[in-house]
Amino acid sequence: MMFPAEHLLYLSALLFSVGMMVMIVKQNTIMMLLGIELLLNAANLNLVAFNQLHPGLLTGQMFALFVIVVAVSEAAIGLAIVLRVYKYYQTSVPGEVNELKD
Amino acid sequence: MENTLLLNWFIELALLAPLASFIVCFFIPDRYSWAVPILANLFLLISAISSFCIFLTMPAHETYLLQFDWFRMHDYTLQANLELNRLSVIMLPLVSGISFLIHLYSIGYMAGDSGIKRYFAMLGFFTFSMLGIVLSDNLLLIFIFWELVGFSSYLLIGHWKEKPEAAKAAQKAFLFNRIGDAGFLVGVMIIWSNTQTLNLNDILSVKEIASWQTIASLCIFCGVIGKSAQLPLFTWLPDAMEGPTPVSALIHAATMVAAGVFLLARIFSLFTPVALIIVAITGSLTAFLAALFALHQFDIKKILAYSTISQLGFMITAVGTGSESAAMFHLVTHACFKACLFLGAGSIIHALHQAQQQTHQSNDVQDIRTMGGLRKKLPITFLTFLLAAASLSGIPFFTGFLSKDSVIGGALTWGGQEFSWKLIILMMVVATSFITTLYSFRMVWYVFLAKENGETATVVESPWIMRLPMLILALFSIWLVVSWNPFMVTGWVSTFVGKLPHHNFTTILSTGVVSLGLAAGWLLYARQSAPKSALFLQRAFNLDSIYKKLFGQPTLHLATALKRIDRHWIDGVLHFVAFSNASFAHLVAWFDRHIIDGSVNTIAWTAGLVGTFTRSFQNGKIQLYIFWAVAGLIIFLFFLLI
Amino acid sequence: MNAHAIIFYFLETLAAVSAIGILFTRNVFYGALLLITCLLAIAGLFIFLNAEFIAVTQILIYAGGVVVLIIFGVMLTAKISGKPLVVKNQNWLPAVAAGLFFFGLLLKLFSEATFASNSHTVTSQYTFINQIGILLMTDYMFAFEVAGILLLIALIGAAVVASTFQPSKKAS
Repeated sequence: MMFPAEHLLYLSALLFSVGMMVMIVKQNTIMMLLGIELLLNAANLNLVAFNQLHPGLLTGQMFALFVIVVAVSEAAIGLAIVLRVYKYYQTSVPGEVNELKD
Repeated sequence: MENTLLLNWFIELALLAPLASFIVCFFIPDRYSWAVPILANLFLLISAISSFCIFLTMPAHETYLLQFDWFRMHDYTLQANLELNRLSVIMLPLVSGISFLIHLYSIGYMAGDSGIKRYFAMLGFFTFSMLGIVLSDNLLLIFIFWELVGFSSYLLIGHWKEKPEAAKAAQKAFLFNRIGDAGFLVGVMIIWSNTQTLNLNDILSVKEIASWQTIASLCIFCGVIGKSAQLPLFTWLPDAMEGPTPVSALIHAATMVAAGVFLLARIFSLFTPVALIIVAITGSLTAFLAALFALHQFDIKKILAYSTISQLGFMITAVGTGSESAAMFHLVTHACFKACLFLGAGSIIHALHQAQQQTHQSNDVQDIRTMGGLRKKLPITFLTFLLAAASLSGIPFFTGFLSKDSVIGGALTWGGQEFSWKLIILMMVVATSFITTLYSFRMVWYVFLAKENGETATVVESPWIMRLPMLILALFSIWLVVSWNPFMVTGWVSTFVGKLPHHNFTTILSTGVVSLGLAAGWLLYARQSAPKSALFLQRAFNLDSIYKKLFGQPTLHLATALKRIDRHWIDGVLHFVAFSNASFAHLVAWFDRHIIDGSVNTIAWTAGLVGTFTRSFQNGKIQLYIFWAVAGLIIFLFFLLI
Repeated sequence: MNAHAIIFYFLETLAAVSAIGILFTRNVFYGALLLITCLLAIAGLFIFLNAEFIAVTQILIYAGGVVVLIIFGVMLTAKISGKPLVVKNQNWLPAVAAGLFFFGLLLKLFSEATFASNSHTVTSQYTFINQIGILLMTDYMFAFEVAGILLLIALIGAAVVASTFQPSKKAS
């Protein structure tokens, strides 16, 4: 079938940007994690889209699989950290966790 | 002149003793005010004795100068000298002698007055100023003393400050004097601009006749009109009778009003024939009108005031007809008998006041209609009054006859081109002397010889200290003082005043006129068949109210208008300037606060902003860190890939 | 325009819209649900791209595991008050600017680049699943083992990090 490469690339670019915006804009740590997931998914989409260019090889899909694995572990650890931070600072607003300021 | 040192001493004593009297009486504490009359009299005695010494030792034909340097500018020195010439030598003892006698009289008259310190102080100051006029030889100095005399007259007329009429009279006197003095000053300026000097000897030695002399002399004559109460500036003198009677005697009979005549005699050679005509007309008109007015007054002091005006007119007529010697002679004799008349009037008033205080009545003590028959009760007063009134009328065997005779003689010999003028003036002079006799007779009759009115019950004679000066002055009215011959002037007088005109015709004429006057007086007043006097004559042709309407009220209106202009416009301008200044200041303040401070504040705020911005890089917020990382990534990609 | 294309475009639009929805929503829970939608849409796209295994893995692990985990997190970090958890948006101006710029950059990049297409097709007699399994054991053996260790570390780590519940200090 025809390979509408540009659409998917644009979509992944959009998802990546939106994910970044979500990460910066939202004032909730959980929503920051959502943004991270969006980023990773955009990358996955990109990989799988480029996989179409080489139909016999499955490089892209393998890469995407490992990306999923990494993403999952990162999400788990991230959530644990978020819970810890919440327990310590009693807030889930990342702007208030600013003890690292100079 | 031998013994000039003694002469200097005498001059200075004569001049400065009254000034010392003024200073002492003014500054003495109130505790010692009982000593004031004694001290004042002492000083004046010193002055009188010095003046008489000068008179007796100084020959008349010499002049003596006591020089003082007034001020020095570069190489020009303005000198102020005290000069003794024949005129001042005869005026000196006259002024200081009469002043001393008045001081004596005032001890009795003003006893118990609350302002006695002020009174004697101002009397001394007045004497000092008058002697200054007599002795100065510089026109400017004369003017200064002239003003001082006017000032002391003002203070003395208004001595009884509580009486509003006295205050108004004093103000009026000063104002009229001032008007005359304006003319005087203009005359002085004209003289200065033409001769560059104000020294009288230099001025009088100008030989040629010029037109400026006419104007200058007429302007100075304006001052004389004001000071010596001639037409039209004479209405202040009757009102000045509000002052104490000794003051009237000294100032308004003997000395101050005579200062004008003295000045005229002094600068006589400055007058051109044209000016002299005007002087003569003014003098004779004044004499005639004032005599008319005196005939219709009922207040004894006012009669004497109008009489003074009339006699001054006589003197000025004499000057105008060219015989200033006759004028000076008449001045000397008039001073003596008029002062005696005033002192007599004061004695009557004093006695009547004492009487009224006992009977608790309050009539006008000065009204002659309420007096009568005082001959028996006040004998010494009657004697002196009679002698002085006889001298005033010009009855022979009195000094007044001699002096009036020389005045009429001068009018007769006036050799002018205008024959008609001479005749008119001669006739007016003669008529005036007739009326003078008439009113003197009337006065004496009403006060002393008429039937008693009944209220003058417990009148007693005045104390001796008041009778003594009157006696001395009455003595001076007898002809023997002046010349041995009762009908013609021979002796020391001519050496001082100059050659006096004398004609047998005038002697007989004046004798006849006087007899006529006496007879007419007997008929009119003794027989009580006097016609009713018209009110407008009594009020001196209503000149007073005419003056007030013509000059007083417009001046007041002008003053009010000017005040309004000043308050609205000038003050308005000032307020506007102040207001605009204040608004400008506000504007500047706004500018300073907002723009200048504002720019500084903006710079600070910008610095703060940049600082806050830069500080935000390290504020510990995770999301900003992410953002800046992304921004850096973008920039990196941008420059790498594009 | 055939059905393929329509569904393809539909899924693309769904993914985009749900992603943008996460950006605009204020409710954390709605955000999680929108994320599920997005992930499912992406999984659909994977199917269209002949990546069925990836698609299923995506659904199973992402949508089924990660998002549930996230929802647990939401519940644990929210104050129990009955009200929906609403968060604010801050810093949106610089974020939007950066995001748009980045998106534009990528668009520009992608539109100018040409991708060489390897038209040579290697067909294999195995299905995709088989191929993935063979590849995991042969070519990507090392990566596979490492992935396993990574998962173990993540498991232990998460358990350690999240388990110790000491009395919480007040947030400074």
